[in-house]
Amino acid sequence: MNLLTTLASVLIVAACTQDEQASEDTEALPDPPRVYTVNYPLAYFAERIAGETVNVVLPIPPDVDPALWSPDAETIADYQQADLILLNGAGYAGWLQRATLSQSRLVDTSAALADQLILADDSVTHSHGPGGDHSHQGTAFTSWLDMQFAAGQARAVFDALVRLRPENELDYRERLHELENDLDELDSRLKVVAERIGDQPLVFSHPVFQYLIRAYELDGRSVHWEPDETPGDGQWRELFELLGARHATWMIWEDEPLPETVSRLEGMGIQSLVFRPCGNRPATGDFMRVMQENVAALEQAFPASAS
Amino acid sequence: MIEIGGLRFSYDEGDFSLEIPELKVAHGETVAIVGPSGSGKTTLLNLIAGTAVPQSGQVTTNGYEISRQHDAARRDFRITNIGMVFQEFELLEYLNVLDNILLPYRINRTLQLDASVRARAEAIAERVGIGDKLSRYADQLSQGEKQRVAVIRALVVQPPLLLADEPTGNLDPLNKDRVLDILLQYATDNAATLITVTHDHDILHRFQRVIDFKDFYAHGAEQFAEDIAGPM
Amino acid sequence: MRDVLYLAWRYLVYHRLKTAILVTSIMLIIYLPIGLNVVVEQSATQLTARAGATPLLVGAKGSPLELTLNSLYFSPEYPELIDYSAATMVADSGLADAIPLYVRFRSRSHPIVGTSLDYFSFHDLSFAAGRPMALLGECVVGATVAESLGVKPGDAVISSSETVFDLAGVYPLKMKVAGVLARTFTPDDDAIFVDVKTAWIIEGLGHGHQDLARPEAAPRVLSRSEENIVANASVVQYNEITEDNVDSFHFHGDLAGYPLTAVLAVPRDEKSGVILRGRYTDDDATSQIVRPVTVIDELLDTILTIQQFIIAAVIIAGSATIATAALVFMLSLRLRQREIDTMLKIGGSRARVASMLLAEVVIVVILSSSLAAVLTLLTWRFGPGIIESFVLT
Repeated sequence: MNLLTTLASVLIVAACTQDEQASEDTEALPDPPRVYTVNYPLAYFAERIAGETVNVVLPIPPDVDPALWSPDAETIADYQQADLILLNGAGYAGWLQRATLSQSRLVDTSAALADQLILADDSVTHSHGPGGDHSHQGTAFTSWLDMQFAAGQARAVFDALVRLRPENELDYRERLHELENDLDELDSRLKVVAERIGDQPLVFSHPVFQYLIRAYELDGRSVHWEPDETPGDGQWRELFELLGARHATWMIWEDEPLPETVSRLEGMGIQSLVFRPCGNRPATGDFMRVMQENVAALEQAFPASAS
Repeated sequence: MIEIGGLRFSYDEGDFSLEIPELKVAHGETVAIVGPSGSGKTTLLNLIAGTAVPQSGQVTTNGYEISRQHDAARRDFRITNIGMVFQEFELLEYLNVLDNILLPYRINRTLQLDASVRARAEAIAERVGIGDKLSRYADQLSQGEKQRVAVIRALVVQPPLLLADEPTGNLDPLNKDRVLDILLQYATDNAATLITVTHDHDILHRFQRVIDFKDFYAHGAEQFAEDIAGPM
Repeated sequence: MRDVLYLAWRYLVYHRLKTAILVTSIMLIIYLPIGLNVVVEQSATQLTARAGATPLLVGAKGSPLELTLNSLYFSPEYPELIDYSAATMVADSGLADAIPLYVRFRSRSHPIVGTSLDYFSFHDLSFAAGRPMALLGECVVGATVAESLGVKPGDAVISSSETVFDLAGVYPLKMKVAGVLARTFTPDDDAIFVDVKTAWIIEGLGHGHQDLARPEAAPRVLSRSEENIVANASVVQYNEITEDNVDSFHFHGDLAGYPLTAVLAVPRDEKSGVILRGRYTDDDATSQIVRPVTVIDELLDTILTIQQFIIAAVIIAGSATIATAALVFMLSLRLRQREIDTMLKIGGSRARVASMLLAEVVIVVILSSSLAAVLTLLTWRFGPGIIESFVLT
């Protein structure tokens, strides 16, 4: 009787182990790893390089500037679940200082380019919009507007993705090359149009173009205007002071400005064009498309025939 | 019941010795033994009970030559055949009345304690008036009650022989009578032999026979006969 | 047999004080060495397990024992502080993962452990409710803390001031409970875990731009705290990080210089561990690296020695007790001579009477042994917990 029960239990245990192994086998192919980013360009790079093999998540609402975004605790908890978190670096996401994330899953995509970071010296505190009070201090962080820098960040994204999915390295490398080529092309076009701009002074609506200015050797200074707000008297004064000796003929906006502002500027001899930094996902198209539109707008404003 | 012949007994220490050429007690006889202190009355009871063994001579109790037996046999005989009552009651302080009564059944395997024994004990206790005190302890009893308990302890085994050594020595007159009544009633009802050592001449008339120890010469007894209370 | 036991039992019960004293003394001399051994064995097992689970600790030069006790058992005494850069150094070496520890503050009697998310995955801690801390000011509490404070996710706990008259130093900080850990039967159960940055906020190294005082809220909250600071709420203030003010919290200067009590280093493999240890052997290094297992082994050796002394003492005392008990027994035999004589006189067998007397001794010994066994069982069940709370508070 005892022998029988022992035999029976052994068989049952063996059967269960078989089941476990079976289910383990089916579980051997895990869900695609989740990759969270702090802004859209990084999400775009990750999507370009890894495609369907990873699940890229940018949990920021589309109408919010990621640089000013502050997630609530639940969203941060979502970030904690990610297998990889891509950071822009350069102090981009201030909320990181107030969040708890696993150090081993964070990748600073501009870590290798730390010596190329630009320190912002503009410490005017101003308030506007839903973002509330903020000032631009410390490091400038819209680094991807320098296409070479962007390529560097893309390479950092590639490295992180390969560490996550080493078996896809060859595939990722190929796609990285395609991305680098696209960025190179943008870089070349920008260099060409920068040549055409020469040392003409430009005005930028907001101090987020530092990397663009430096990379393409533009003479640009910034006011602190918002595209969807009518500039107040103080802000106009700021513009006049800025224009000073060298009168700019173009104002480069980060987004479509109000028609009244545009006409008032035109009255001063300043034309407006839009160069979207594309920090967040655009309503239509993707990063490359937006950048190409940006470059096209510049090319249109400074056509080849102009001296 | 008792047959003693050619008895010689002395303790290892001291001068005392006892000589009894002949003594017979019949079944059912009630006997009182009197005599001066130190004359050996208690010793006689011990010899009859088999607690002591003579140097020569024989003691036959209830047809059993007890003087020839070894210690264990004497004990087994004693506990089934002889009930003993002492002057100082000798109850165990840590047992209640009922347990004291039933003590003989617990200290020798020749006696078995069962429900009938318990019933008998309770019945006797009821009859002598302490039926409601069975769960009390010795220190909660009066002198008379204590002695009654001791007596029941002796009776519960239904022995054919009762040996009582000064059973009324520590009792007031009322209780004296009570205790004597119980002993004598038992003897009558069960045709049992009762041998009582006593100093109390007031109770002698209740016994069928009185033995005076003066009749037995003990070495040194002449001296003691002149002492009122000579130490032994 | 039954009769003998019955009589013996009745004797013991009648003299219950004497019996109680005898039983207690004998029980103690049986129990003490055994109970002590149980506690030491169990504690040793627990200590060793906990130490074994922590490969390496980096801390300031000083007592390795203090470093180990503070980092593994969250003792109130904390070692000299090291910089956060020590953790970065370990992580950057590529030899080990670094988990920062800042175990300095307390909430009532519970230690507040400033650390990182990796602490939970490293110790395989699972959540009974809620989630890990995500935002500054959130905390995760151990199972015992949740029970004793009666908190669950959404409730709050408040840190305690370091000293009674802490005017310009550590502020009580009200922390929101984000999660409750499942019971582990380790010191983690009694701890409150926060991000190390939150611990720095408690210290006052980071702050937000908002009113510190909430007079109307303070009295209600602080009345739950047992801290001996003045009950007058207008004097005591606490800090609280809410959704409204969290964005204003920031730290000045380089975080690399901010304080830690230790860095928990998890080497990638044995060889990396050895290499890492080698980097701290320099005599004028200001920090040290310890293997908790080694520290605890030394501690246990000391405890074992003490235990042996205690056992020797108990044996001596125990022998005296046994001798006394024997003496008591012999004296009481003498006192009971009359009773024994009575039993023999009325015909009791020598064997039975002797058995009865022996049975008293046997019953006492059995009672003592049983009680000692029960106490040992209770010690086995509850002992280490009681000892730990003695040692660590």
